[in-house]
Amino acid sequence: MIYVVYALIVFSAFFALAGVVGMLRMPDTFCRMQSSTNITTFGMIGVIAGGVLYSGFVLHNYEMLIKLLVMGLFYILTTPISAHAIAKGAYHHGNKMIDEAVCDQYKEDMQQ
Amino acid sequence: MSVFLYCAICFVVLALVLIVRLVIGPTAADRAVVADAIDVLCDMGLVLFALYSGRGIYLDIALITAVLGFIGTTLVGKYLEGKL
Amino acid sequence: MKKASLPAIAATAVLCFIFWLLLTGQLASLIAGEPSLEVLIAGCLVSIGVAAFSARFFIHEKPFFFFNPVRIFWLLVYCICIFPVELFKANWDVARRALSPGLPIDPGIVKIPVDLKSQYGQAMLADSITLTPGTIIMNTVEEDGKNYYYVHWINVASEDHEEAGQAIKGRLEKWAERIWE
Repeated sequence: MIYVVYALIVFSAFFALAGVVGMLRMPDTFCRMQSSTNITTFGMIGVIAGGVLYSGFVLHNYEMLIKLLVMGLFYILTTPISAHAIAKGAYHHGNKMIDEAVCDQYKEDMQQ
Repeated sequence: MSVFLYCAICFVVLALVLIVRLVIGPTAADRAVVADAIDVLCDMGLVLFALYSGRGIYLDIALITAVLGFIGTTLVGKYLEGKL
Repeated sequence: MKKASLPAIAATAVLCFIFWLLLTGQLASLIAGEPSLEVLIAGCLVSIGVAAFSARFFIHEKPFFFFNPVRIFWLLVYCICIFPVELFKANWDVARRALSPGLPIDPGIVKIPVDLKSQYGQAMLADSITLTPGTIIMNTVEEDGKNYYYVHWINVASEDHEEAGQAIKGRLEKWAERIWE
């Protein structure tokens, strides 16, 4: 069981690395937000799943298990809300997409 | 056991690397997104340290950090949209 | 905004009480069989008080709509079997794009139609799409009785509304319909 926990945590560390590299390399705000979602979902959920297995089957500490489950539920429920709020706010504040962007149907509909 | 500690150090180092983007990020929205990501990475370090030391108090701190990070990011988003 | 009805307040109070149990760690003492009655009564009163003020923001349609074993069963199936597979595929795709040297991205904002009627179903579909990396919902709009989402997509495969909708929503919409309609 302990090796499953190690595998989950190393796996989430890989996705966190990919998200950080993406955040440093991506050209504009919205693409950087996509990489930030990468850190939040698989990085955090991998760590939480590993922690639930470890505290349930190795430590037998059920208070920690319930706290970890609450944290995972909270992250899953609130990450989309803040991502949605800040994407809309950044667009209305005037952040532009890069010039190579394929299409912008939001701007076309707002100008009508 | 020590895999937890090494991975926690990895997450904190990744959070420190993100400070580069926090400094050069051109607009306010970039900085808010990066601050949220740093928050999440520090949370992961705290969870792993709680598992390493076997004490539940670090999980309380991680939960409060998650709540405050969510509120702060949403507030910055609403402010940039001009509806606050 | 209309006033909240009594069943709406009751439904919100039940959810608040469950969340309070989880957050304060009282569930562990309940499982151990030694609950302290005073603390539980205090939590019950506080959750009823919170629900009386916040129910009108939280429940807009039929209350007790969700407390149905069939719906909870399908929601658990969705959360355990269906959604993690989609999440893994999208995560792997975005990680590959971020780590490959040429940075192969084609960003753009597309407009996709949504056929769901229920507000809860629309909220769940929008949250699921935002939670998968590669797509972020920017805004929702209603035109001629039909709902549309504006989605920022990191790899625009098609600019047509229907094709882009099929590529983004996939089978998530069918499951949202099965849970909430």
